[in-house]
Amino acid sequence: MFFTYLRRELRHRWRQATIIALGLALGIGLVVTVTALSRGVNRAQADVLHSLYGQDTAITVTKAPSFGSGGPGGFRFRTGGSGSRPKAGSKVSVDSLTSTALSAIPASDVASVARLNGVAAAAGGLTLNDTKLTFTIPSQSSGGGSGGFGGGGGSPGGGGGSSGGGFGSGHFPTPISVNGVGLSGNAAALGPLSAAKLVSGRTLTVSDANSDVALVSSNYATAHKLKTGSVVTLAKTSFRVVGVVSAGSSNSTDVYIPLTRAQALGTAQGKSLKGKVNTIYVAAGSATDITTVSKEISANLPGATVTNQNGLAKQLTGSVSSASSLASNLGRWLAIAVLAAAFVLAVLMTTAAVSRRVREFGTLKALGWTSRRIVRQVVGESLVIGVIGGLVGIGLGFAGSALVGSFAPTLSASVGQTAGSATPGGARFFGPPGGSGGGGGLPGSRRLASAATTTVHVPLTATVTIGAVAAAVGLAIVGGLLAGAFGGWRAARLRPAAALTRVE
Amino acid sequence: MYKLTGVTKDYPKGRGIVQALRGVDVEVADGEWLAIQGPTGHGKTTLLQMLGGLDRPTSGSILLGGDDLARLREGEVTRVRATSIGFIFQTFNLVPTLSAQENVETALVPLRTPSAARRARAARALADVGLADRAGHLPSELSGGQQQRVAIARALAKQPKVLLADEPTGNLDEDTRDDIIALLEGLWRDQHLTMVLVTHDSAIARRAQRRGVMKHGELAISNDARRAPASPQ
Repeated sequence: MFFTYLRRELRHRWRQATIIALGLALGIGLVVTVTALSRGVNRAQADVLHSLYGQDTAITVTKAPSFGSGGPGGFRFRTGGSGSRPKAGSKVSVDSLTSTALSAIPASDVASVARLNGVAAAAGGLTLNDTKLTFTIPSQSSGGGSGGFGGGGGSPGGGGGSSGGGFGSGHFPTPISVNGVGLSGNAAALGPLSAAKLVSGRTLTVSDANSDVALVSSNYATAHKLKTGSVVTLAKTSFRVVGVVSAGSSNSTDVYIPLTRAQALGTAQGKSLKGKVNTIYVAAGSATDITTVSKEISANLPGATVTNQNGLAKQLTGSVSSASSLASNLGRWLAIAVLAAAFVLAVLMTTAAVSRRVREFGTLKALGWTSRRIVRQVVGESLVIGVIGGLVGIGLGFAGSALVGSFAPTLSASVGQTAGSATPGGARFFGPPGGSGGGGGLPGSRRLASAATTTVHVPLTATVTIGAVAAAVGLAIVGGLLAGAFGGWRAARLRPAAALTRVE
Repeated sequence: MYKLTGVTKDYPKGRGIVQALRGVDVEVADGEWLAIQGPTGHGKTTLLQMLGGLDRPTSGSILLGGDDLARLREGEVTRVRATSIGFIFQTFNLVPTLSAQENVETALVPLRTPSAARRARAARALADVGLADRAGHLPSELSGGQQQRVAIARALAKQPKVLLADEPTGNLDEDTRDDIIALLEGLWRDQHLTMVLVTHDSAIARRAQRRGVMKHGELAISNDARRAPASPQ
């Protein structure tokens, strides 16, 4: 009888039931879409961070160059007395692999970090830039002093020549972003290479530790027509390409070489990087340990910059950040508002329906129906409407998510890097084209050390999860129960005599 | 069957109080048919509601087979209504979305009758009122007389001890009225029901065993000798 009555009532009041169900569906659909969108934005954000900082590396440890240390990789020629300055008009080629924005850290610190409580694994790496320059020595207007360029960052003016012998103009090629990656133990599973997928060839192995072999990113390989077997030159050393990897659009590393070779060839502030790293990749035992481990590392390595994903997310700017803010603020509140309106609509319409059925319920009470049975009938009807609304809402949610996937623009994210933080992408900003004449220093170079910014692009996808579907069903049930409870409460309050009299 | 003693019912109305019943004392014997007449608004329906446990008196007692409906808890009154009392209303009060058969079944739902037995009893009740062939029709597909027959079937399907009818022919034409009254009289006699029937129609009231008149909330029972149930014609 319950289901017969329920079915007949819903069929009889199908217009009203449809309006209530659609209202709930709209609210629930919006909740599902916003949830999916929010998840998509979070995933995009995670993708950005993941690509920039490496998979499974919850914490990154770096060290900023000390102020006045000369900045990243200036080229200088001493002219006073030594006679080493090339003659005017002669061509000079420079190819150096330098740690541009980061100070060197003793490799022994990697082991000490690995021993800390809560640390699952730690590995060192070198984030470097290979810069190639070929230029002609200009004529010197007056002797003495030193001419130079670059050398930004550390001290204002870099290596500006005292006599004005700097290179007033010149073209800086985009440097190659190089990562020296550890190949033994856990090292391969940490750091930027861990996020990369092999496209062709093979990956680097422990036996490659002392070999001049390299992996190149698919983007770099395409741009420079490289393939397995090709050769890339870094610090005047030829590296044979053994594989091409894809590390996502947001990863800006061009070439991966064994850490040992990077240490042998690289320099930081004019000093060799042998036995040094400039980035320590740390995997915490669990997500809950990240904050504690970060503090421990800070305490053990004074002066180090300890960055975890929570902090990095806050540094993100750009449309990823805007979308995240939009999804979490406007989207969430819009969904809540529509859902609340749908609930209110359902409650009001159900209550109105009960009011129109006063005589019916009064009669049923006269026949011996208990209030509970009548409430159950009303709640049952509302619940069915709610579930129908929920199912339609889930459909709308899927449709909305699909629309987001189809029409959403690609998001961009910018990570502003302060000196000392590990950012492979940041290194790409070394030496932007153009420079100021006279005085030697190239302001662009200085900018690298102080505040490089990496912008990456990630597609926005909105995926409906089982959790979101379960939440939608839950909301539908809550909506139905809410409407039914109010309606049922009114029905239960009816005294049969009053109900019958009111009609008569 | 019924014994009402000093039953009063006051309703608040604006700042004042309306006394719908003013100390009603009456007894209705088992199997008796009592007809109640009176002007509109003088307490006939209120008295019927008290008899049916649809409302509680302000004071007094309403004994039905030993239970005081004025003092029973709500759940117990509901149980009494479900098992012992059948109602017939002037406006039929059928559930518009349910068929004739299903409307009759609604009276059996509180008794937790198994669905097969419920359907059988409802079908039998409909057959008793001559509507076996209209079981699947919605109320809107039936005439007024047929709807009232469905209502009678609904009231009697649970085999109550008491049948309370409030103007059962008020919405019917004269021919249909006679049919319905004849039907009720036959069922009253065959099923040994105690019947209290409120009506404006003196012709109908005269067919009852006793008549009472409600005026200003007071019930005056006629001194006529109780009429024996009419023998089948």
